[in-house]
Amino acid sequence: MNEAPCIRVVDVHKQFGPLEVLKGVSFDVHRASVVSMIGASGSGKSTLLRCINYLEVPSAGAIYIEGESLGFREDGSGRRSTRPLREINRMRRDLGVVFQQFNLWPHMTVLGNIIEAPIRVLGLPRKDALERADECLRTVRLSDKANEYPARLSGGQQQRAAIARALAMRPKVMLFDEPTSSLDPELTDEVLNVMRELARAGTTMIVVTHEMDFAREVSDRVLFLHDGLIDEEGSPEQVFTAPRSERCRQFLAKYLK
Amino acid sequence: MGNWERLVWNQRELLLSGLGVTIEICLLAFVGAIIGGLLLCLVRLYVAPLRPVAILLIEFFRATPIFVQLMWVNYVWPEVLGWPNTFFTAGWVALALQSSGYLAETFRTGIEAVPKGHREAAASTGMPQLLIFRRIVMPQALLTAAPSLVNQFTVIVKSSTLVSVITVPDLMFQSQKIVNIWYEPIEVLTATAGIYIAFIFLISQAGKLVSDWLRRTFGLQG
Repeated sequence: MNEAPCIRVVDVHKQFGPLEVLKGVSFDVHRASVVSMIGASGSGKSTLLRCINYLEVPSAGAIYIEGESLGFREDGSGRRSTRPLREINRMRRDLGVVFQQFNLWPHMTVLGNIIEAPIRVLGLPRKDALERADECLRTVRLSDKANEYPARLSGGQQQRAAIARALAMRPKVMLFDEPTSSLDPELTDEVLNVMRELARAGTTMIVVTHEMDFAREVSDRVLFLHDGLIDEEGSPEQVFTAPRSERCRQFLAKYLK
Repeated sequence: MGNWERLVWNQRELLLSGLGVTIEICLLAFVGAIIGGLLLCLVRLYVAPLRPVAILLIEFFRATPIFVQLMWVNYVWPEVLGWPNTFFTAGWVALALQSSGYLAETFRTGIEAVPKGHREAAASTGMPQLLIFRRIVMPQALLTAAPSLVNQFTVIVKSSTLVSVITVPDLMFQSQKIVNIWYEPIEVLTATAGIYIAFIFLISQAGKLVSDWLRRTFGLQG
């Protein structure tokens, strides 16, 4: 592939005090592809996702978004300087995040949640923001709930609203951090279906998930994290049916009967 | 019933003017307390070098009895600061100071109750810190604080009866004046108590409606 990867993660380390959660992780995400990250709790997959848009600042290593480093600037002679927060904020617009806990803003309606950042951050006129919101709400099939406050919605509806909110920024990449883990089992499908459609429509996605069937069906590439390192990596076919790593085999055995 | 007519009904203008002063002084004190409380809270949370000063003031305002506060503002401030120059101003300022100490803590609780994830969701769209505070954190903090705010207003109303001792002509002051003319306290003081009860009841009912509405609409616990 000739074009630069959409996202390039290079040797990322993350330390919380004495605890090393990520021990050097590298991978690329190409445009219009879906990368899933699986692994046991504590394997570092959520931390890794949060590092990708600097909600956690990596202790070492680099994140490149379309060839541009998120944390530092490089001048012509290769000298690095820390990037100011203002610039990091500008680059963050290109990364939509969907959280496990939805994190909708409770004092705004669903519509208010969706148009907030397009208006305040991108500076869109209200009319354009409303049009975008309309389109995003249709994508997540929540048009009838536009004027409800989040507290009145089910968990599945809240998460779909959160997806619409992230989509409204027209990000280059969508990051999903265990989007169905705090949902009742009967509500996971409505969220996963929306994500399937996004994947089918060519959205670039990085998904941290425990939904193995979903990961297998939708992903172009699957990463198995263990103890802060990528322990197994490949096509879903290869990772799920013929994992080379013993730990990955054991992990999957617990999920796939 | 003759006494009621003579001592209360015929004195209604005096009592109503007193009630007017009470309402006025309470509203001024309330607005002053909200502004003062917000300032104290923001300094405490976000202006590190002045944090000890803010904490000292908050604790001082909260720990001093309202009567002492009133005397202090009324007699000490004019000597030291040259202000306030009327009893009325001294009255509401003292009430405002005390409540601002409590409200500062109410606002702080409200701000700290906003889940970290709500800020992260905003940050992940590239929203700058100041905007996150103004659009995401502060509105939620104010909504959470609303019921306590209303409650603090009832405290102000009750404390305001003390401004009569520095001769502010509030409801309590006028009522005592009537008592001192005829030395017949029963009807006047009972009527006065009734007015305060009704006033405070109205406010606390309004507060209940506010917190019900918050819970229903936003799922916020007040």
